[in-house]
Amino acid sequence: MRMTTFLLPVIAASVAVVLSSVFVVDEREKALVLQFGQIKSVKEDPGLAFKIPFIQEVVKYDDRILSLDTETIEVTPSDDRRLVVDAFARYRIADVVQFRQAVGGGGERLAEDRLSSILNAQIREVLGADQVTSDTILSEDRRGLMNRIRDQARASALGLGLDVIDVRLKQTNLPSQNLDATFARMRAEREREAADEIARGNEAAQRVRALADRTVVETLSEAEKEAQIVRGQADAQRNGVFAEAFGADQEFFAFYRSLQAYEKALMGSNSSMVMTPDSEFFDYLKSDRARQ
Amino acid sequence: MAGNTGGPWGGGGGNRGGDDDDRSRNDGRRPQDNGPQIPEIDELMRKGQEQLRVLMGGRGGNGRNGGSNGGGIPEGPRLTRGTVGIGALALVALWAFSSFYTVRPEEQSVELFLGKYSATGNPGLNFAPWPLVTAEVINVTSERTENVGVASSGSDAGLMLTTDANVVDIDFQVVWNINDAGKYLFNIRDAQPTVQAASEAVMREIIAASNLAPILNRDRGVIADTAMANIQAVLDEYDAGISIVRVNLERADPPREVIDSFREVQAAEQERDRLERQADAYANRVLAEARGKAAQVLEQAEAYRAQTVNEAIGEASRFTAVREEYAKAPEVTRKRLYLETMEKVLGSVDKTILDQSIVGGEGGSGVVPYLPLNELRRSTTEGN
Repeated sequence: MRMTTFLLPVIAASVAVVLSSVFVVDEREKALVLQFGQIKSVKEDPGLAFKIPFIQEVVKYDDRILSLDTETIEVTPSDDRRLVVDAFARYRIADVVQFRQAVGGGGERLAEDRLSSILNAQIREVLGADQVTSDTILSEDRRGLMNRIRDQARASALGLGLDVIDVRLKQTNLPSQNLDATFARMRAEREREAADEIARGNEAAQRVRALADRTVVETLSEAEKEAQIVRGQADAQRNGVFAEAFGADQEFFAFYRSLQAYEKALMGSNSSMVMTPDSEFFDYLKSDRARQ
Repeated sequence: MAGNTGGPWGGGGGNRGGDDDDRSRNDGRRPQDNGPQIPEIDELMRKGQEQLRVLMGGRGGNGRNGGSNGGGIPEGPRLTRGTVGIGALALVALWAFSSFYTVRPEEQSVELFLGKYSATGNPGLNFAPWPLVTAEVINVTSERTENVGVASSGSDAGLMLTTDANVVDIDFQVVWNINDAGKYLFNIRDAQPTVQAASEAVMREIIAASNLAPILNRDRGVIADTAMANIQAVLDEYDAGISIVRVNLERADPPREVIDSFREVQAAEQERDRLERQADAYANRVLAEARGKAAQVLEQAEAYRAQTVNEAIGEASRFTAVREEYAKAPEVTRKRLYLETMEKVLGSVDKTILDQSIVGGEGGSGVVPYLPLNELRRSTTEGN
């Protein structure tokens, strides 16, 4: 028992010393060994590492890709249309020594603040540049602008020991006070379109009706023309037939046709005749001898 | 200094939940905490002491308890062989318990040898001798969903500006899973927000490069496909080990504030259609009428032609027939025709025959002027 009570603190102390002189760097981490705040060594690869217990301390930084969302800012492109813009950045702590020197004990939070202001400045600078209009931002060129922001931010962030992997614009919207005006414009455009549709409908309808009316008149007059031609031909044919037949004996025709005309004209009960019986018809009315 | 080297017991018992979390074992603390050194050593010392106490046989039988809640200690250091044996057994059991782990078919595991990536575990039972090797098990097949534009952060969340300066309301859903557990764990810290942000950025980029009308109509499928490809490209750029399963474009509409106007346009389109169809109907009706009438006019003319010609031919041939007979005996025929006609004519005519003598001879003005012709006629008619 004596032995153990004496040994135990020794064992405990040595275990503590061993444990505090060994540290593990995870796959996701990078570590700095500091001695009274001074950087003694850098441990970038994962695995087991050693330090002097109690004197040296280990600071670990994330080696993965970190994210940062910028706050929403308003930018004014060169056409003076204001846009509300936010972006996100993906970055990595590339150089832990520089990072430590730049942000000191502030750690990631301070680095985020610094990076955030870098990004905002670059966004303003790139999107506010001379030849950049809001039309440029709202077009295929957006990608190019994002790359420019990324490249410039990357250059600035190198001093922080950060590697900016990607910067992307998220929203590029109108400020809310302009939104109402935009909605009003969209509505007006739609109303114009609707009115246009109706007007075009009426136009087409009128066109169709007019064409139909014209075709009706054309069709009818054409038919009328044909009819008159047919009638004329018929009359001509009739005349021809009569002329041929009647021309054979004109004197008899006059006699015969007169008789027919008398019959037609005087038939019926609406005619009355006052006459003297001295026509040929009455030759025998008074005597049995025809008059000489 | 995460859990694996920190507390000898803390690593084993606490994280053994068999949970599907990405951070099942090894995520004790955020490494960004700066200056954690002194507390960690303190912790080490404290845990080392606890360990010693347990070794001293404080509670041989239930060493696990002793480890985790270092509080239930000392009944005095009474060491017997039995308690030491039981304690050792319990330690071995605990060690084995924390060294074996299972990987289900839908999972992938990554083993770290002293923090360094060493192997990817196979489905089934795996062995990761604690504390040298730690393992992380994550579910890779289950689909995770990010909603973008849905009214989580206000109803304006999905409003996006198009090239022609119109506003469109886009809601979409990104479904993703993990295709490489190692990359997913080691390359990227905030996976889920990254997917979210990348999706939003990509979609806004696509929308910003397009006009309003195609977004609303025909390009929906194209947009979803392009978005999926681009989000995947961004994540691949990060080497995130994430694969996008699909992008569901749930909504691509005009904003609420103007949607009525869009509906009015649709109504107007229908109205236009209606007007045109009505006009077509009118045209069809009157044209058919006109064609019918034209046909009628033509047929009437043809009928007239037939009638006229036939009548003429008939009349002419009658005349010709009569004339031929007349030529055989002109005088008699002439007389007969005359008399027959007169017979018919005078037979039906009201006649008043005045004799020459009554009239008063030639040129004499006789009774004619005084004859009440109308009276005569009326009496005759009544007499009939």
